Amino acid sequence: MKVKMVKKILEANDRIAAGNRALLANHKVEAVNLMSAPGAGKTTLLEKTIRALDGRVRIGVIEGDIQGTHDAEVISGLDVPVVQINTGGACHLDANMISDMLQEMPLDELDLLVIENVGNLVCPAEFDVGESAKIMLLSITEGDDKPLKYPLMFQKSEVLILNKIDLAPYLDVDMEKIRSDAKKLNPDLKIFDLSARNGQGMEDWCRWLEDKVKSR
Amino acid sequence: MHELSIARNILELVDATCHEQGYSGVETVRVNVGKASGIMTDALVFAFNCAKDETLSVNATLEIHEIPVGGRCRECNSDFISQETIVLNCPRCGGAAFEITTGHELEIFELEVDG
Repeated sequence: MKVKMVKKILEANDRIAAGNRALLANHKVEAVNLMSAPGAGKTTLLEKTIRALDGRVRIGVIEGDIQGTHDAEVISGLDVPVVQINTGGACHLDANMISDMLQEMPLDELDLLVIENVGNLVCPAEFDVGESAKIMLLSITEGDDKPLKYPLMFQKSEVLILNKIDLAPYLDVDMEKIRSDAKKLNPDLKIFDLSARNGQGMEDWCRWLEDKVKSR
Repeated sequence: MHELSIARNILELVDATCHEQGYSGVETVRVNVGKASGIMTDALVFAFNCAKDETLSVNATLEIHEIPVGGRCRECNSDFISQETIVLNCPRCGGAAFEITTGHELEIFELEVDG
């Protein structure tokens, strides 16, 4: 017997994500989903951002990794609330994992929640976790072919951060190609060039983030 | 390997529907997958078959209907269908002002069930 049904396959995830979004809005917390390949510099960027915004924006962090607590330990050294999710093999965070962790977070004491996703250029972009913006980090060492090879993440992000620009003189990478390909995929994409290591460009990014928090 | 998460979501939704409507088992699950949804169809079938034990879909086949990427161009006012997964320009006029209308589907649309 044939049974017609129309069910969005990610419906359950999207429903939980909507619940997360509502909970965060009730507590006036802005949430960003930080996504990149492994090694692009998410944790370093986060560490430097927390230091730069110290006293201006109260930040909490959810760390997603396949296993281990290394990143959460780095961030908790900065004296901000942090919880670690180990996905045990899953290559992305989903709304349900975030929903559990929101219970552990002192939401009334936060302005901004940063969700550091599992390092992966594909799956994290597929799953809404209840964030208000997706932020993508691409280190220029990864090469200028990435926007057209991994389009979904560039399409879904509000901001693209080109990290490790201090290494540009040593690389055969066409940064203008990255920017123009990314803009073709997503004309509204906001792009920041920075080096989390030496601090170049950090100011513009932090100002954008602070404005985002203020406009919530 | 997000296909495994997707397969688990499909199996849960099918089980829920069967419980709700009193079906005892499933023979076929038919899904629409848009070509721009980022899903590898072979991987999805593989993941479905790995994850279906202990569900009402244990004997079921997953049938995938691929939906091409389509859009509507605001410059030449035409509807288009593309064979590409990513459309950067309108295939008719080359313009960049267009909206994508199909190709992101990820939905179950039909089951073959046992009464």
